[in-house]
Amino acid sequence: MEHRIKKKLPQAVWFLIVLVFFLLTVYPVIWMFCGSLKGPNEFYTNVWGLPTDPQWQNFADVWKNGAMGEKFCNSLIVTLGSLLLLIPINSCAAYAIGRLRFRGRRLIYGFLLMGIMIPSGVLGIPTFTVALRMGLNNTHLGLILIYVGQSIAMGVFIMRSFFISLPKELEEAAMIDGCTPFGSFLRVILPLASPGVMTQIIFNGLTIWNEYFMANIMLTKAEKLTLPLSIANFVGQHTTNYPVLFAALTIVTLPVVITYVLAQKGFIEGVSAGAVKG
Amino acid sequence: MTKLPRISKSTLHRRAFPYLMCLPAVILFTLFVILPFVEGCRVSFFKWDGFSNMKWVGLKNYANVMHDDVFWLAMKNTFVYAILVTVMKNVIALALAYVLARKFPLRTLFRTGIYMPVTLSYVVIGALWTWIYNPTFGLLNALLKALGLEHLIVGWLSDSRVALYSVVAVDVWKWIGYHMVLYLAGLQAISQDLYEAAALDGANGWQKFVNITIPQLNSTIVVNVLMSLTGAFASNFDIVNILTGGGPMHATEVSLTYIMTTAFKYNSMGKANAMSMILFLLVFLFGFAQLRIMSREDAYE
Repeated sequence: MEHRIKKKLPQAVWFLIVLVFFLLTVYPVIWMFCGSLKGPNEFYTNVWGLPTDPQWQNFADVWKNGAMGEKFCNSLIVTLGSLLLLIPINSCAAYAIGRLRFRGRRLIYGFLLMGIMIPSGVLGIPTFTVALRMGLNNTHLGLILIYVGQSIAMGVFIMRSFFISLPKELEEAAMIDGCTPFGSFLRVILPLASPGVMTQIIFNGLTIWNEYFMANIMLTKAEKLTLPLSIANFVGQHTTNYPVLFAALTIVTLPVVITYVLAQKGFIEGVSAGAVKG
Repeated sequence: MTKLPRISKSTLHRRAFPYLMCLPAVILFTLFVILPFVEGCRVSFFKWDGFSNMKWVGLKNYANVMHDDVFWLAMKNTFVYAILVTVMKNVIALALAYVLARKFPLRTLFRTGIYMPVTLSYVVIGALWTWIYNPTFGLLNALLKALGLEHLIVGWLSDSRVALYSVVAVDVWKWIGYHMVLYLAGLQAISQDLYEAAALDGANGWQKFVNITIPQLNSTIVVNVLMSLTGAFASNFDIVNILTGGGPMHATEVSLTYIMTTAFKYNSMGKANAMSMILFLLVFLFGFAQLRIMSREDAYE
């Protein structure tokens, strides 16, 4: 009996500790969703609880008057545009490096891997200069190309590990069936590496959707801003209507959180792929 | 006669194929990673405001950086920030992973919830915590009042003595779940036989943790520590800029906020690039070590 209590007690303590951490992480986010539905007065009087009279109007306000609708589209263009480019580009290079034999293969791989050692924080200022010279500042295309360029090192690294894990005989079989080299890559190998493609979509999609640093350097025109940028401006203004601000935060967060809750396992694997290989 | 050129054309195709596959990646990587990096190196030797003509000044920008008190303050803050963040993220994440790796009530719910902030933008987190820290209406002070701890209330982001620690807390809050997941993966790879053998030898929980878990997790710990350090040194702009903008009185000034201020407020591109290069040398060591570990594990496969 005494032994059992001794064993159960630490378990209960641990449960409490984990519970506290759980509440600390989850409550602020729930509180943000609740805050976005409160009226300007209720926001201050009913700090902790659920909204008594949900103000869906807040979302309409921020979508139209705060021009969040436009910013949402900008974020969508930049994120989807980047994904549409970086997935074929990284997959093609990773396939060649992982499964084809050719002169200079290791050299090209080593060259691309250098990117892992150059964080984007270091590249911020000089990228601005280079993009300015190319006339890419204040364009979504410029930002997309930068995101794609910066995704290559990690993307090729991850995709390559998926490609090399597949059996060697696949291409030979495809060739016998009359596939061209590109055809066997596209129709045989790539579908088998689709978890790798998924990983890239989640990892890069999330990073780019949330990205602030590079976007802040590249975009200044109001009509070009992405969601994170316009929210940062929103916070900077002193006369802020907090429920409306929280509605804006919810608009950025909701697509991500919904995807996360629906595809949790893939999501966590995708985001962690940067550290533990595919 | 008609067949010969076709064969050689297809061999040519086959020869060129791998290079064509790599070409787009190589071009974009060169244009938007290597070229900026080289450009950053070059500009660091010039005096330049970003618009007019560049003037060669040799190492003068670097000398200016070394004599800049704010730069040293920013570096000191960055080191304090990096060390605190790294220790707290790893200790807490490892503890949570250790508990949640085994049978535990509501395990999946806890894992899912604790991971959630990883998916949020720094901008959203910054806006949220600005409000949590708000001195008059904020959630934190409301909580302290509710607990009868009014005397602990300070200006979380406006008091230069605590502002840096307030920022550290938010960064730890965001990333605990990420490191927890990496530790969970590492823990699952440890063979249960080791624990059973230790149990037979009469080892208690703590002894098992110190003598089996920690040594077995070695490379996971190294990767986690390196990632926290690199993040703290080279991607600290977002959270600091949104929460404090580097203030009050440079109390939370870190490497990237000061680089951005130097470039876009003081229009001194040469000096900003010189600081970027210094920062690169610092994180290069971490990145290099991480790459070595990742490719070593790759080779084992």
